[in-house]
Amino acid sequence: MEGKIIVVTSGKGGVGKTTATACIGAAMAMQGKQVVVIDMDIGLRNLDVVMGLENRIVFNIVDVVKGRCKIKQAAIKDRRIDNLFLIPASQSDNKDSLTPEDIIRLSKSLRGRFDYIFMDCPAGIERGFENAVAAADEALVVCTPEVSSIRDADRIIGLLYAKSITPKLIVNRIVPEMVARGDMLSHEDVVEVLSIDLIGLVKMDDKVVVATNTGLPLVLQKDSEAGNAFHRIAQRLNGQPNLPIENSDNGKGFWRSLGRKLRRRN
Amino acid sequence: MFKDLFGNFFGRQGSREVAKKRLKFALVYDKLEVSDDLLNDLQRDVVEVISKYFEVDTSAMKLDIKRSDDLSALVLNTPILSAKRR
Ligand SMILES: Nc1ncnc2c1ncn2[C@@H]1O[C@H](COP(=O)(O)OP(=O)(O)OP(=O)(O)O)[C@@H](O)[C@H]1O
Ligand SMILES: [Mg+2]
Repeated sequence: MEGKIIVVTSGKGGVGKTTATACIGAAMAMQGKQVVVIDMDIGLRNLDVVMGLENRIVFNIVDVVKGRCKIKQAAIKDRRIDNLFLIPASQSDNKDSLTPEDIIRLSKSLRGRFDYIFMDCPAGIERGFENAVAAADEALVVCTPEVSSIRDADRIIGLLYAKSITPKLIVNRIVPEMVARGDMLSHEDVVEVLSIDLIGLVKMDDKVVVATNTGLPLVLQKDSEAGNAFHRIAQRLNGQPNLPIENSDNGKGFWRSLGRKLRRRN
Repeated sequence: MFKDLFGNFFGRQGSREVAKKRLKFALVYDKLEVSDDLLNDLQRDVVEVISKYFEVDTSAMKLDIKRSDDLSALVLNTPILSAKRR
């Protein structure tokens, strides 16, 4: 087994990296892959609460790197979704407790044990970012349709290119009504400005907040639009790159008809 | 230009177009920014190349980025002491 390491990053904080990591990781595991999601936000861990696994933490990623425990001991198994594991961040250390070399060393055993390894990157471009991307084969850049988020995404994309990684873009927290009335950048706008490949579009969805409140996986809720969008991203990553990004049986091709509407207006 | 921005902002067009214009401008502008480290490395390399052909006063050499509204230029100023005979 030779697993793939995918970093989820953004530059700007609070755009949905942790949400995306939890959801795509879970969706990927539901496709039968062995998945581990790793919280690289040392000192500010959150992936555990978003996944509802916070009360099962014994060891963390810093323990693993420092040799205080085995990967197997630190990886918490999700009891609701088969094949899904979480390695939490340490809450008491800081980002300098790890080095990119540590992560590269660890990556060999991770690759041998899992099909997909998702790294939840902290905000910023400093050590935490360097650690999270150190061993990455691929990168998902998350941004929202806002000026500051897109500008930061552009900076991150530049840094990833410098590391010979060609990232793919997720536009999160889209409000279609605002796009339609011309008060929010559309995903076409975002793609045009950043000129990178899109892998997913996720709408603003109250169910994301509810899922985080309860710790129940969003991707297990069939009627969540955001949850379905994350399922599609996982499918596109996992051998179905040509699956349409927009879900056409949902609201009679809502996205497509929105696109048409906009084109007519311009 | 500001009239343009606000004209759009309050007009029918919505803030989306304004956002797009501002973004494009910001991204181009961001990429013109050059760090001191990069400039120092460049100066060191340039000195090395020029020294193959000219005797130059390296202490008086100055490498700078000059910015105006529509373009950025790399400006190198160096006193030549003599040309090297080859
Ligand atoms: N599609 C969405 N719809 C509604 N709310 C969302 C959506 N995506 C994310 N959120 C909310 O936005 C907030 C920030 O999300 P999240 O914690 O995933 O961002 P982050 O990029 O990991 O932040 P940080 O940089 O602090 O690590 C959370 O409250 C989350 O519930
Ligand atoms: Mg986060």
